[in-house]
Amino acid sequence: MGELAVSGRAGDEIVAIGLGSCIGLAMIDRDAGVAGLAHVVLPESQGKPGPAGKFADLAIPELVSKMVQAGAVKRRLEAVLIGGARMFSVGASMDIGARNAAAVREALKQAGIRIRTEEVGGNPGRTARIIVGSEISSQLAGGERTSLLTLTATKRVPAPSGR
Amino acid sequence: MTPRYTDMQLDALRELANIASGTAATSLSQMLGREVDLKVPKAFALPLADAVEAAGDPEEIVSGVALQLEGDLAGIVLLLISASGAATLCSLLGVEVDTEVGESALGEIGNILGASYLAALSSMTGLTMLPSTPMVVSDMLGSIVATVLAETVGHGDTALVLDSQLDITGEPCEISFLLLPNAGGANGLLAPLGLAEAAA
Repeated sequence: MGELAVSGRAGDEIVAIGLGSCIGLAMIDRDAGVAGLAHVVLPESQGKPGPAGKFADLAIPELVSKMVQAGAVKRRLEAVLIGGARMFSVGASMDIGARNAAAVREALKQAGIRIRTEEVGGNPGRTARIIVGSEISSQLAGGERTSLLTLTATKRVPAPSGR
Repeated sequence: MTPRYTDMQLDALRELANIASGTAATSLSQMLGREVDLKVPKAFALPLADAVEAAGDPEEIVSGVALQLEGDLAGIVLLLISASGAATLCSLLGVEVDTEVGESALGEIGNILGASYLAALSSMTGLTMLPSTPMVVSDMLGSIVATVLAETVGHGDTALVLDSQLDITGEPCEISFLLLPNAGGANGLLAPLGLAEAAA
């Protein structure tokens, strides 16, 4: 919860197991073959410190910066949202999931990053999984996996030098 | 800021959990007509991500019963019942697991365990705690625990968890009874025992 990871190595897996109300925010530059995942827990930091991926308002700029450091180009970044469930359907409270999803969408909009697809809301918990250079998927309890996006390059780019 | 707990404070919290879960085990035993084993509870204060791991295998499918607490101690009581445990409990109560009735039976077990645990805690600390009606869900342990921690820990970064393990003797039935006070909530439990508040 609150972690953030980026990789540019094809075949690497970045996984957030058991997302409930949290959002697994996947970010990709398909041409550069770079992908990242933030495990967002709450919508706003309200000035409090925390791990890099914990709050939507801080996680998006941090993820973008880590992606660019790893060789991604900002204008090519795309996002996929997974999670944001309402696990407990009774009770007035405990709908952090919907607020998280709204905050992540807003922060992405401000950063000018397009959302490619979402697997968000409803009751079930999900596991978010990125296989760098291959696909982004969402998995339910018991293992049923849905592929959300295939991560092949849209055009040929020269390999980044020195790597 | 992150509250830090001393060993003595964690010991005191563990002892509270021990007595309260002893009372809860007795009620469960009376309800089911079976002997209930109680392990020595754990009290831990951990960073969020580690707290989920400490609660169990995040991918295991479990039944979760949550009671939201209001009053002098805000927080959540969470029962995590293994799949075999849910089947055992339902069969002892004569209902089918994974049905609406089965779910409501698990909710009722949450009610009874919660009420007796909280009554014991209340008589030791003088705090009033009002549990909500039980919310029952079956899903990955990680999803359930993370959702509850997001609610109780919020902007803090240390999760305080009192974890008591209740097992029905001779049956494959493991129940974790977790008390997760809201950020700062442990002070309410420690103050009546004459222990200094957790340093902010």
